[in-house]
Amino acid sequence: MENRPLEYDYTVAKMFMLTTIVLGIVGMLVGVILAFQLAYPSLNGSDLAIAEYINYSRLRPLHTDAVVFGFTLSGIFATWYYVGQRVLKVSMAESRFLMFIGKLHFWLYLIAVAAAVISLLMGVTTSKEYAEFEWPIDIAIVVVWILFGMGVFGLIGIRREKTLYISVWYYIATFLGIAMLYLFNNMAIPTMFGVSEIGESSVGVWYHSVSMYAGTNDALVQWWYGHNAVAFGFTVPIIAMIYYFLPKESGQAIYSYKLSLLSFWGLMFLYIWAGGHHLLYSTVPDWMQTMGSIFSIILILPSWGSAINMLLTMRGEWQQVAASPLIKFMILGSTFYMFSTLEGSIQAIKSVNAIAHFTDWIIGHVHNGALGWVTFMIMAALYHMAPRVFKREIYSKSLMATQFWIQTVGVVLYFTSMWIAGITQGMMWRAHDEFGNLAYSFIDTVTVLYPYYTIRGVGGVLYLVGFLMFAYNMYKTMSARPVKESELQSASPMGA
Amino acid sequence: MFHWLEKNPFFFSVVVFVIIAFAGIVEIFPNFAQQSRPVIGTKPYTTLELAGRHVYIKNSCNACHSQLVRPFKSETDRYGDYSLSGEYAYDRPFLWGSKRTGPDLLRVGNYRTTDWHEIHMKDPASVVPGTNMPAYKWMFTNIADINTAFAEQLTIAQFFSVPYNTPVPMKDGSMAVVKMGKSVADAHALALAEARIIVADMKDQGVKDAVASGQIPEIVAIIAYMNGLK
Amino acid sequence: MNKLYLWGIIMGALMLGATYIAVTGTKGGLNDDIINILTIAGAVSLVIITVFVVIKYVRQMQTDTADGVLARETWDGIAEYENELPVGWAVTFLLTIVWGMWYFIAGYPLNAYSQIGEYNEEVVTLTTKFEKDFNEKMSNFSETEKTQYMIDMGESVYITECMICHGLTADGIDGLSTDLNNWGTHASIVDAIVNGSKGLNYPMGDMAAGFASGQDATDIAVYIMNDLSGETGSIAYDNACAGCHGTDGKGLDGSSPDLLVYGESGFIVDVLNRGKKGFIGDMPKFDRLSDKQKEAVGAYISSLNK
Ligand code: HEC
Ligand code: HEC
Ligand code: HEC
Ligand code: HEM
Ligand code: HEM
Ligand SMILES: [Ca+2]
Ligand SMILES: [Ca+2]
Ligand SMILES: [Cu+2]
Repeated sequence: MENRPLEYDYTVAKMFMLTTIVLGIVGMLVGVILAFQLAYPSLNGSDLAIAEYINYSRLRPLHTDAVVFGFTLSGIFATWYYVGQRVLKVSMAESRFLMFIGKLHFWLYLIAVAAAVISLLMGVTTSKEYAEFEWPIDIAIVVVWILFGMGVFGLIGIRREKTLYISVWYYIATFLGIAMLYLFNNMAIPTMFGVSEIGESSVGVWYHSVSMYAGTNDALVQWWYGHNAVAFGFTVPIIAMIYYFLPKESGQAIYSYKLSLLSFWGLMFLYIWAGGHHLLYSTVPDWMQTMGSIFSIILILPSWGSAINMLLTMRGEWQQVAASPLIKFMILGSTFYMFSTLEGSIQAIKSVNAIAHFTDWIIGHVHNGALGWVTFMIMAALYHMAPRVFKREIYSKSLMATQFWIQTVGVVLYFTSMWIAGITQGMMWRAHDEFGNLAYSFIDTVTVLYPYYTIRGVGGVLYLVGFLMFAYNMYKTMSARPVKESELQSASPMGA
Repeated sequence: MFHWLEKNPFFFSVVVFVIIAFAGIVEIFPNFAQQSRPVIGTKPYTTLELAGRHVYIKNSCNACHSQLVRPFKSETDRYGDYSLSGEYAYDRPFLWGSKRTGPDLLRVGNYRTTDWHEIHMKDPASVVPGTNMPAYKWMFTNIADINTAFAEQLTIAQFFSVPYNTPVPMKDGSMAVVKMGKSVADAHALALAEARIIVADMKDQGVKDAVASGQIPEIVAIIAYMNGLK
Repeated sequence: MNKLYLWGIIMGALMLGATYIAVTGTKGGLNDDIINILTIAGAVSLVIITVFVVIKYVRQMQTDTADGVLARETWDGIAEYENELPVGWAVTFLLTIVWGMWYFIAGYPLNAYSQIGEYNEEVVTLTTKFEKDFNEKMSNFSETEKTQYMIDMGESVYITECMICHGLTADGIDGLSTDLNNWGTHASIVDAIVNGSKGLNYPMGDMAAGFASGQDATDIAVYIMNDLSGETGSIAYDNACAGCHGTDGKGLDGSSPDLLVYGESGFIVDVLNRGKKGFIGDMPKFDRLSDKQKEAVGAYISSLNK
C-alpha cells in the first residue's frame, strides 16, 4: 500500500470549487452594482416596487458577506480538501467518517449560505461588519466551522507525513483564529427571553437579539474580530494556499524554512494586537490605540516575510513567470499582498488614519488585498487543482492569459481611483478656508468623487469580466475535454 | 522546539491558540467596566426610538453614515462635540460605522428637523442635488415593528439593568425618566404618543392617516430616532 | 532599458500622479496641516518603497539562481531550502521591534498621550491663527472692505451650514424653508402682519395673524424698514404693535423680537440662537457656530435682498 501512489479523493474539494465560482460571481456582480449605484444613484431604482431589496444600503452587506463567507470561505475549504490530503499523504477515501463529515460540512454550509442571503435581503442584520448575521445563522456557521475543524484535525490525525507542512500551520491557525473570534464577537441575547411585567414573553420576531456588549466595548470586540477576520480569512489561509500552489506549480523549493518559521510565528503574535487601528481617534482608551498603531507597523515584516519567501522561491525562474499565466497570478498576487499590507501599516499610523479613516482610501486598500491578492490566489489555486481534480487539461491557456491582463487593469483602475477619491475626500473634510470656516460643505466632498466612482465601476466590470472568463474556463475544463487516463504528473498544466 | 511542534499538532494548536488569545485578553478586558458607564445626559432609547434604530440597522444606514465624532477641529466644527465613551452606554450594537459616504449622524438631531428628514428620506436629491443617498420611499408605507423594539427593551432592562422607568440625571441638573410599557399594549400606546408628536410636523397624508389609525410607519420611527441623536 | 524598470516607473508615476491630483484638488492643498503632510509623506513612501522592493526581487527572479542546502523532508514533492533569513528583512524586523519598545517605554510612554489634549491644542492653535489673521485684515480694511469681508465669510458659513435647507441660491428650495432673498424686506413684514409669526420661542409666545391689515400693514412695514422713524405707519404701529414690541420696537426687554434689527444681522443671530418652529417648518438652533460666524452669516443674508 505504502508503495502505490495514493488515490486522493477530491469529492468534497470539487463541491467547494463549485460554490467558490458561483458565489464569487454573485459577490462580485453585487460589488459592481454597488459601485455603479454610488456613481449613478438612479440605479437604486427608488421608484420601483422592489427598491427596498435592491438599493445600495440593502445590497452592501450582501456583497461583503458573499465575498467573505461565500467566495473566500469556499475557496479556503476547497483548497483544504485538496491540499490537506496531499501534504499529509492521506486520502479522504481512507476514512468513511471523514468523508461523511466533509459532505455534511458542504451541505450545511450551503444551507447556511442560502439562509444568509435571504436574511440579508430581508434586512435582517445586526449591523456589525462581517458579523451581520443573527443568531440562528451564527449557530449554523459555528456548526459548519466545527465540521471543518473535524475535517482538518481528523485528516491530521490519520496522516502519514509526520511533520506538518507550512500550509497546514496556516490552515490550523485559520481554524482556531476564526473560531475564537467569531464566538466572542457574536455573543448576544435573543430578545424572545424578555418578559414583560404582565408576563408576556417571546414578543416580536423570534430571531432578533441584542449584543452582549454596549458602545465602546462593543466596538472594541467588533474590531478585535473585524481586523482578525481579515487576518484569518483574507491573509492566513491565502498564505496557506500560496505556500502550496506556488512551489508545486513551479517545481521550485521554498526559499527558506527559517523565513517561513519567523513569518508564521511573527504574524500569529502580532496580528491580533493590531485591531486597534480600526478605532483610532475613537473613544477607546488612548493606550490601546497606540498599541494598535505600533503593532500594525511592526506587522509589516512578518507580512512581507511570506511574500518575500515566495518571490525568492522563484529566483532565477523568470522564464516560468513569463510563460505561465498561472504563476503570474501568484507572483502578482504576492506583490499586491505586499502593497496592501504596507498600505495597511501606513494607514495605521495615527496621523495618516486621521485622513484615511472613513474614506474611499480604505476601500481601495481593501480591494488591493481582496482583488489583487485573495481572488488572484484563489483563482490560481483552482486553476492548479482543476486538471488534477477533473483529470483534464485546462481548457484554454490563452483565455487565462487574457483574463490575467484584464483583471490586472481592473485592479489598477480600482485602487488608483479610490486612492485619489479617498485622499481628496479626507483632505477636503479637514480643510478650513481663509476665514477659519470649513472650506467645503459635505455635499461638495461627495460630488467631486463621481468621476472616480465611475472609474472604479469600470475597473470592477473589467475584473468581473475576467472572473467570468475564469468561470467559463473552469466550466469548459470540467465538461468539454476528454478524461485523462491517470492523474497528471507534470508540475504544470501549462506544460502541455 | 519548533520542529517538535510541527510534529505534534495538538501542542502546535495549543501554542497558536495561546498566542492569539493572549492579545485579546490584554486589550479587551481591562477597560470593560469603565468604558460602559453612561455620562450625564445619556438616556436609554424610548420604544419608538428603538424601533427607529432597528429601521436604521435594517437598511444599513451605517454602511454610509458614521456615528463617531473624532477630536479634530474640522469634525467638531461640522458635527458638534467630539464623542465620549459614556454616550454610547446604551448602544447595543454600537453604530460607529467605518465609512462616511454620507456625513456623521451622531448629533444630527441638533441640526436637522422632522420636516427636513421627511423630504430628504423620500427623495434626497430633491433637497441635496448631487447626493448619492438612495430614496427610502417604502419607509412611508412599511409599518415599524414596535413589538420587537419592546422585546429588546425588556431584554436589556432584565439582562443589562438598563434604567427604564428610573430617573437618570440630565445635563441641566434635572432628572429624566424614560418609560417602558408594562405590556405590549402599553408599549404600543407609548410609541403612538411619541409618534403623534412627530407626525404633527410631517406633511405626508398617508403617514398621518396611518398614525391616526394607530399604526406607525417606519419613517416616523426612524425620524424619532434621528431627532434623538444629540 | 529593462522592461521591468519601465513598469516600475510607470506604476510609480501613476500613483504619485494620483497623489498629486488629490492634493491639488483641495483648496489650500497641504495647507500647512501636519496631518496632511504626514499623510502625503506616507502615501509617497508607500509607492516608492513598494516599487523599489518589488523591483529588487523581480531582478532576482531574472538573474539569480536557486541554490542552497535542501532540507531532507518534502511534502507532496515540495522541498525547502535551509537558507538563512534575508539580511535586510531580518535587520529591519529587529529594528522595528526595538523601535516599538522604545516607543512604548521611553519615546511616548503609553500613558503620556491624550488625544483630547491634542485636540485642545489644535483648537487653540487654529483659533489663534484665524483670529490674528482676522484682526490684521480688519485693521487694514476700509469700512466697505470690512463689510464685504464679513459678507464673504458669511457666504462660506452659509454654504456649509444653511444651504442644505435654504438652497444654493437661498430660495428656500420650493417652500421647504424661508426664501432668504426676500427675507427682511417690506414684503416679509407685511407677511408677518397678515399671517402672523411663530416659533422663535419668545416669552410672549406666538404672534397671531391680523393685528393690522390693508394700508395700515403696508405703512407699518415702511415704518419698520425705516428703523421706526418717519411719519408713515408710525401711528398704526403704535396702535397695533407697540403693545408687544414696544414703542421703540426693541421688544420690551426680550419679550418679543427686536424690530430695530429686523432685516439685519442682529436679527439673524437671534434666529440662530433660538431656532424657529414656524408655519413653514422647523429650523434648528445653531449654537454650534461662533459669534463671529453668526454675525457673518447674518451679514451675508441681510445682503441678499439688496
Ligand atoms: C449610498 C450612501 C448612503 C446611504 C445608504 C444612506 N445615506 Fe444618508 N446621506 C448620504 C449622503 C451622500 C449624504 C449627504 C448629502 C445629503 O444630505 O443627501 C447623506 C445625508 C444624510 C442625512 C443628512 C445629514 C446631514 O448632516 O446633512 C441624514 C439624516 C441621512 N443621510 C440619513 C440616512 C439614513 C437614515 C439612512 C438609511 C436609512 C441613510 N442616510 C442612508 C449617503 C447615504
Ligand atoms: C401679541 C403680541 C404681538 C403683537 C401685538 C405684535 N407682535 Fe410681532 N411678534 C410677536 C412675537 C411674540 C414675535 C415672535 C414670533 C415668533 O416666534 O416668530 C413677533 C415677531 C414679529 C416679527 C418677526 C417675524 C419673523 O420673520 O420672524 C415681525 C416683523 C413683527 N413681529 C412685526 C409686528 C408688527 C408689524 C406688529 C403690528 C402689526 C406686531 N408685530 C404685533 C408679538 C407680537
Ligand atoms: C434643517 C433646516 C434648516 C437649516 C439647516 C437652516 N434653516 Fe433657516 N429656516 C428653516 C426653516 C424651515 C425656516 C422657516 C421657519 C418658519 O416656518 O418660519 C427657516 C427660516 C430662516 C430664517 C427666517 C427666520 C424668520 O424669523 O423669519 C432665517 C433668517 C434663516 N432661516 C437663516 C438660516 C441660517 C443663517 C442658517 C444657517 C446657519 C439656516 N437658516 C439654516 C430651516 C433651516
Ligand atoms: C500588515 C497588514 C495590514 C495592516 C496593518 C492593515 C491595516 C488596516 C487599516 C489601518 C485599516 C483601516 C481602518 C480604518 O481606518 O477604518 C484597514 C482596513 C481594512 N483592511 Fe487592512 N491591513 C493590512 C492588511 C490587509 C489585507 C492583506 C487585507 C486583505 C484583503 C486587508 C483588508 C482590510 C479590510 C477589509 C479593511 C476594512 C475594514 C472595515 O472598515 O470594514 N487588510 N486595514
Ligand atoms: C468586481 C469586483 C468588486 C467591486 C466592483 C467591488 C465593489 C465594492 C464596493 C462599491 C464596496 C463599497 C464601498 C463603499 O462603502 O464605499 C465594496 C466593499 C467591500 N468589498 Fe468589494 N467589490 C468587488 C470585489 C470584492 C471582492 C472579490 C472582495 C473580497 C474578496 C471584496 C471585499 C469587499 C469588502 C471587505 C468590502 C467592505 C469594505 C469596508 O467596509 O471597508 N470586494 N466593494
Ligand atoms: Ca451575529
Ligand atoms: Ca467597513
Ligand atoms: Cu485591520
